[in-house]
Amino acid sequence: MNDARKTKRRTALAVVVIFAVVSIFVVRLVDIQVVSATEYNKESLEKRSVSQTTYGSRGNIVDTNGNVLADSVDRFDITASPLLVNTFERKSDDGTSNVEVPVADAITELATATGATAADITTALTEKPGSNFAYVAKSVTLEQLTAVRALNIPWVYDVLHPSRTYPMGSVAGNLVGFIGTDEPQNGLERTENTCVESANGTSTYERGADGIRIPGSTVTTQEASDGGTLKLTIDSDFQWYAQQTLAQRSIELGADWGTIVVVRVSDGHLMAVADYPSVDPNNVDGVSVNDLGSRAFSSPFEPGSTMKAITIASLLDAGKITPTTTVTVPGRRDLGNGQSIKDSWAHGDIRYTATGILTNSSNIGTSYLADSLGADARRDYMTKFGFNSSTAVEFQGESSGLVRPTSEWDAVTNYAVQFGQGMTATSAQMASAYQTLGNGGVHMPLTLVEGCTMPDGTVTDLPSTEGTRVVSEAAADTTVGMMENVVNQGALKKDLTIPGYNVAAKTGTAEVANANGYGSDRIISIAGLVPAEAPEYAIVVTFAKPDTLKTSGAVASTFKKITTQVIKTFKIAPSTVPETKYPLNY
Amino acid sequence: MSNLAFATPLRSPAEEQRTRHIEIVSSREQRRARPRAAYAIVAVAGLFVLFIAQLLLSIVVSDGAYRIAALQTSQRDLGREQQALSEQLDMLSSPQNLATQAESLGMVLSTTNPVFLRLADGAILGTAAAADAGETVITGSAGSLVPNSLLAGVPLVTATPTVDPATAADAAATGAATGTGATGAPTATLTEGSVASTPTTLPSPVTR
Repeated sequence: MNDARKTKRRTALAVVVIFAVVSIFVVRLVDIQVVSATEYNKESLEKRSVSQTTYGSRGNIVDTNGNVLADSVDRFDITASPLLVNTFERKSDDGTSNVEVPVADAITELATATGATAADITTALTEKPGSNFAYVAKSVTLEQLTAVRALNIPWVYDVLHPSRTYPMGSVAGNLVGFIGTDEPQNGLERTENTCVESANGTSTYERGADGIRIPGSTVTTQEASDGGTLKLTIDSDFQWYAQQTLAQRSIELGADWGTIVVVRVSDGHLMAVADYPSVDPNNVDGVSVNDLGSRAFSSPFEPGSTMKAITIASLLDAGKITPTTTVTVPGRRDLGNGQSIKDSWAHGDIRYTATGILTNSSNIGTSYLADSLGADARRDYMTKFGFNSSTAVEFQGESSGLVRPTSEWDAVTNYAVQFGQGMTATSAQMASAYQTLGNGGVHMPLTLVEGCTMPDGTVTDLPSTEGTRVVSEAAADTTVGMMENVVNQGALKKDLTIPGYNVAAKTGTAEVANANGYGSDRIISIAGLVPAEAPEYAIVVTFAKPDTLKTSGAVASTFKKITTQVIKTFKIAPSTVPETKYPLNY
Repeated sequence: MSNLAFATPLRSPAEEQRTRHIEIVSSREQRRARPRAAYAIVAVAGLFVLFIAQLLLSIVVSDGAYRIAALQTSQRDLGREQQALSEQLDMLSSPQNLATQAESLGMVLSTTNPVFLRLADGAILGTAAAADAGETVITGSAGSLVPNSLLAGVPLVTATPTVDPATAADAAATGAATGTGATGAPTATLTEGSVASTPTTLPSPVTR
């Protein structure tokens, strides 16, 4: 009986002890699993999970043939932890023994691999010795990164740094623009940013002790999105030729700046917009701030006699003149108030036809022709040709030029605007006006962007294809025919003729106004169309303030080269119809 | 059993009574209805099979995670390499470079007479005239006036490739050694196990 009681008591004690121990465990379990669960879970997740930035790729900018003008590339920032900078050991080249590498040696090796100077790296590493982060080199290429990694320096790291490169340099650099450290700063990169812009995403995942992602743990918090591809109407090969030829002649002439604009007349697409000087977006600091944009859009000037073709087309459309309308042109036209109109050369009375006036570029003759139509009607034609309003391109910093209201015209301005003085226009506007002449009188919106293709295949930013009629087809075609006489009968016949092709052109030698009125500076240009019988391309070549030669004749060689290149690049077959010739005198 | 009982009659009945063991003999039906060990074994073994399968699966999955990580790294590296190469290709195919290289080879751009050969009927459109050797766009003038800072250091195709004399000597020595030493090897390059590359073509692939 005694034994049984003892056993009972012992059993009870064991049960109590077990119960106590179990309760302790239960309490702890509840504490861990329920009470502090969130806290612990968070802490553990922090240890396991890493947040990663996923980079979207900024869209490319390509030319009409898909050649890349602006490209997104991977660059890498090489960073280091100054705190850990110390002598380290690494395997010798044959892999058998360990060699000690002193810090100085490591820095020299880093300098060779990254292209940074050893002094800069030393400064970066010693500036804040207690810091855990310092840049050794920024934006290094993959090749350099591979070299750095091969050094096996334990305190050197790398971070992806998406970057932008312009494989063709300054070919269309004036249009494409460039990107600053943080955001697009200039040109289409800036104005078309909504198309090419990408968005970075973040993804969080859990990883094990060895850094490997735990299967199925990726949580993408935000998807990265790529930018669209911006396609321009520019032909990069032709654009290069235009820029090279323009730069060469500008230097020869000592011109302050120059532009070449080539437009396809059927749809107003710009094939080339060359500017001199122009920026290489890879090396923005290489040029003056004033040369970063496109003067073809941003610099209005008094165009001079190239406007006479517009005047002729307007008068033809209004039915006021024909190519053979006769005018006796005196050597000077007195307007009263001491104002008069002169020609660029001294002459007595000349019996000109309208074609003769255009071919010889007589200001006086043009003024007599303009008398046949009211000022308001003439100004209306100008605005319909696109003057006094910016082109449909709406390029960054584009100017709309200026044609004052007729109420502000004095006796001279009334006529001067008809031969391109007392009003201003940009090269792009002039090219757009000549596009209208070449396209049978229908003005097409000037177009630089062919479209934006998003990564999902949708195409946006499609250019408008809606044209507006400015003058009748007959008036436009007749004007082009009259302009042919500038090439086949004018003073620059020898310099402008391209064997086998009918070319229409008009020269311009404009005086440049300064603070004291018109000075000795000139802006010289030639605008034309090829082939004249069925124009396909409008070409405008302009040089501003040349030093050596100050007449439009200096432009002829460049205009001819560009026209020849247009013929070759865009495969224009030789003319099969005879050239148009009108009598110049009667 | 009954024989034995008769052979030991001296046992006291009390003792006999105590040792007597009475038990209910289960019927056949009852025995049949009783759970069998086989079932338990099957259930436990099944459980073990499940556990092992689960274990193997998670081994395979985590092994896959390592493979995925390795492949993703190599995909990233290859992508970067592809991108670096296409970047270089775009840079080399820039008009400035092509024109400079073409002119270094003696090509000129005819700026006078545009002439076309129509492939459809072989007709020549335009008046053919020989181009003038002076019709260069880049050489002869002030050089390339359309700067591209990326092209700095890109050599002309006509430039003679510089061969490091030491490397050349090494290559010659290796060639000689394998040529004489290895029997049955057709050429020295084959024994090297990779395709020989010349300085003007793409380098042979290097496995990292």
